[in-house]
Amino acid sequence: MKHHLLTGFVLLFFWGCGQKTQNLSNIVVPEDILNQGINEITDQAMQKIIDNIASPVEVAGLLKKTGVPFNRSLLAPTSYASAYNSAFQKAAALGIFGADLGYLNMYNKTGSVIENLSAIRDIAEDLKIGQFFDFPTLKRLASSRENLDSLMFISVHSYNQMDKYLRENQRGNLSALMIAGVWVEGLYLVTQVVKQYPDKQLIEKIGEQKIILDNLMIILKNYSNDPKFNEYISDIEKIYAEFRNVKIYFEIAEPEAVEKDGKLTIIQHETSIVKMPDETLKKITAVTEEIRNKLIKI
Amino acid sequence: MRKILLLELIFACCLIGMVNAQSTTRLVELCAESAGKDATYLKDFVVQLDAAGPDGKAPVAKYSMVLSKNNVYRFTICNADDSEGRAVLQLFDMNVMLGSTYNPSTGKEYKSFDFQCQKTGVYHIFISFIDGKKGTAVAILSYVKTL
Repeated sequence: MKHHLLTGFVLLFFWGCGQKTQNLSNIVVPEDILNQGINEITDQAMQKIIDNIASPVEVAGLLKKTGVPFNRSLLAPTSYASAYNSAFQKAAALGIFGADLGYLNMYNKTGSVIENLSAIRDIAEDLKIGQFFDFPTLKRLASSRENLDSLMFISVHSYNQMDKYLRENQRGNLSALMIAGVWVEGLYLVTQVVKQYPDKQLIEKIGEQKIILDNLMIILKNYSNDPKFNEYISDIEKIYAEFRNVKIYFEIAEPEAVEKDGKLTIIQHETSIVKMPDETLKKITAVTEEIRNKLIKI
Repeated sequence: MRKILLLELIFACCLIGMVNAQSTTRLVELCAESAGKDATYLKDFVVQLDAAGPDGKAPVAKYSMVLSKNNVYRFTICNADDSEGRAVLQLFDMNVMLGSTYNPSTGKEYKSFDFQCQKTGVYHIFISFIDGKKGTAVAILSYVKTL
């Protein structure tokens, strides 16, 4: 495999069909980059983990794009926040509330954001990462309903800062819980919405999580020595097991670069196709709901 | 006297560290803003690289990230004011380069490029500096829209 990768890193890239073309044939990928695997993650390597495994913005963006109306009842209750008494619960909740914050922000529900922000601030302070969460500014932006771009930027940036700090300070376990929390809540939101609105794109999004789940399991299993983590891994494995009947196929094609008015766009033509039986979708929905509700329970 | 000097040195180091942190934070803000009104910030990558060594190999910062099908992403690169080198961002799917902010055959540099993702998976970005110079830069990953 390594040999195969080694032989394949001189790149010849054909830029077809665009209004202008680029020749990037003399760019060489460094060997050490091609050889780096993601199968073994040490605690130290948590600092270099795969980013964007779970993105509240993208999940919410997809829900909004499909025209599905906002549903407040799907949000995790923030009233539980003060009752979470372990770092484990708090970190997982931080991820869950982060996903909900993205959902609220994307639908411009700024009035309801304050409650969510307050819960996040309290948990972040308990975990000693409150310094990265600029609550006064976020509250002001949410209250004024102005400058939603800034609200979104500061929200996401604060989360990134907290996550980065945890990873860099030997608290990668909490970062892993945060990431998993965002992912579980994102999957919960989409599966619940699909129950009412069986949109094809949303269903495909659920099926694609099989790819992401592989990477998430690698991160979580890094902490399997912790009994609490082990129980959580078992729960996530229940979701993982339901994905076994999801089949993902790939159609290979060359990418295309288009330059228009000085702006460059790369269009990927290689595509993934998800096949998921209806029964599998139902099982994924049920088990996700069960695990997510267990996670937010006091 | 030596203690005072030591304290002053520690204070100066802390101050430099704080100023540096503040300036990169500001650069992240500005770069995210420059990505455009239609782009929602997702991640930033702050890069500080040394000049190429005697072997001529330019240092490269590498990051991995999940990108999702049917989403349009924007990759934006911004150099720090005091950066000697100009940064280049390259996007890879496994060992295939999909796009770059620099075309070495024409010498043309792009502040950003959009990526229409059609395959959910792990992608890699490499950031380096042209001609192996040392430099500081920020890369921003933004979400533009769902197709």
